[in-house]
Amino acid sequence: MIKLNLAKNTLLISLLMSVSAHTFAFDFQGALKDAAKEAVKKQIDLSGNNTNNTSDTEKPASDAKITDLSKAEPPIFNWQNPSIDEEILLGREITGNLLGAAPLVKDSALQNYINSVGRWVASQSDRADLPWHFGVIESDDLNAFAAPGGFVLITKGLYKKMTNEAQLAGVLGHEIGHIVKKHQLKVLQKQQLLNIGSNFLSDKYAKDNKLVSSAIGSGAEISARSLDKTAEYEADRLGITFATRAGYEPYGLVDVLQTLSQTSVNDGSVALLFKTHPHPDERLARLGDAVGNKLDNVKNGQTLEKRFYKLRN
Amino acid sequence: MNLLNKLKIAGSIALIFGAGFATAAETGSALKKDNMRFEPYADAKVTGTFSRGESLQIIKKQGAWLQIKTKKNTGWVRLLSVKRGASAASTGSNIATLANGRAGTGQVVSTTGIRGLNEQELKAAKFNETEVKTLESYTQTAAQGQQFASAGSLKAISFTTIKSPQTNSARAAK
Repeated sequence: MIKLNLAKNTLLISLLMSVSAHTFAFDFQGALKDAAKEAVKKQIDLSGNNTNNTSDTEKPASDAKITDLSKAEPPIFNWQNPSIDEEILLGREITGNLLGAAPLVKDSALQNYINSVGRWVASQSDRADLPWHFGVIESDDLNAFAAPGGFVLITKGLYKKMTNEAQLAGVLGHEIGHIVKKHQLKVLQKQQLLNIGSNFLSDKYAKDNKLVSSAIGSGAEISARSLDKTAEYEADRLGITFATRAGYEPYGLVDVLQTLSQTSVNDGSVALLFKTHPHPDERLARLGDAVGNKLDNVKNGQTLEKRFYKLRN
Repeated sequence: MNLLNKLKIAGSIALIFGAGFATAAETGSALKKDNMRFEPYADAKVTGTFSRGESLQIIKKQGAWLQIKTKKNTGWVRLLSVKRGASAASTGSNIATLANGRAGTGQVVSTTGIRGLNEQELKAAKFNETEVKTLESYTQTAAQGQQFASAGSLKAISFTTIKSPQTNSARAAK
């Protein structure tokens, strides 16, 4: 049932996906305008090109049910105030698409390790109750991703740049921060309201069920989009906050940002990261302003270098 | 005599620690305008200032502080005011090219079959239920997280959320 409901709404979701369900950087006004344009453009694209993807197994609903969609009111998925289950379903779709682009590293000790660290850091947040999932994915890029409902992925390339657990905790803390503050979800919600306002989307889609599956397939594109810059700075502050609360040396995230800042802008492994985030120098400077003397009394934070799980290659 | 030996040992230990961070004075640059201080404390006497982008030498690290040397002065500064490595100004100049799209050519590609993540690949990606299920299979409970923390002697502390500083708007206005 949920699956079917989701399918119905996936066309909406996937349009929204063109906005951003991803981790880092930029201005909200611009994002929304951009997203609105994208939504229109995409609809045109899709109506002329109904490639069917295998990404989901939903059966076409009956015509009667589909036409329900044409009543501008979006059914089932409550965009005004999504439940936690809905948020998780949305995040799961996005994560599944991203994993379609880059699968998990086949190393269960590594995946267990990152889940242990991530779970402990997430427990220091305001949303400790979510079922948190963490994964390292097969990619030489330096990047990390968050999706609504508690899904966090980091690339193997970024993992290999780290040398201790405090750094990992800081990076995971940044992604956890995005989820705790519902940064991606809020952008998607706003976009949805715009779509409802435009009132043509559901009419159009109701007529061609294939568009649903077609739209789902392009989902991972959202992971290449930016968030508002202020959302990135906030996630940086939260990353340090959560890692510090968890008992780690507070400057782990700063170490990683330092490493990133020394990576050439011409290095392909940071192309997407640098495109979707403020430059690490700016992030470091902002953190400096925010942190001030607040960490002066934090003592005995651990780095746990020895426990840090080392990748062989 | 005995005391002298102890002092010598203490001195060499201090040297080792100092060298741990920056062997042969690492290069760095200022991320923002800030004061240098006589000691690594917020209320220590100011020994000089530096401006954003200024290059400097990092002598050593102590906690959240770096001892640095500029052309004119030596002193301590909070580590978040300094970028390690090349000058901030030189990387900054490249940000403009980034905004226009992806820098360089042939990025993301790897001969080992491991993929990068560019926009095209993300766009073409298809939902992978098996991988999601695998991801979910690693999920841990809060209790497991706690156990892992205890095993590493990690102790949760209370710490107020770091908020956005009031000075942000002032910075942006500059």
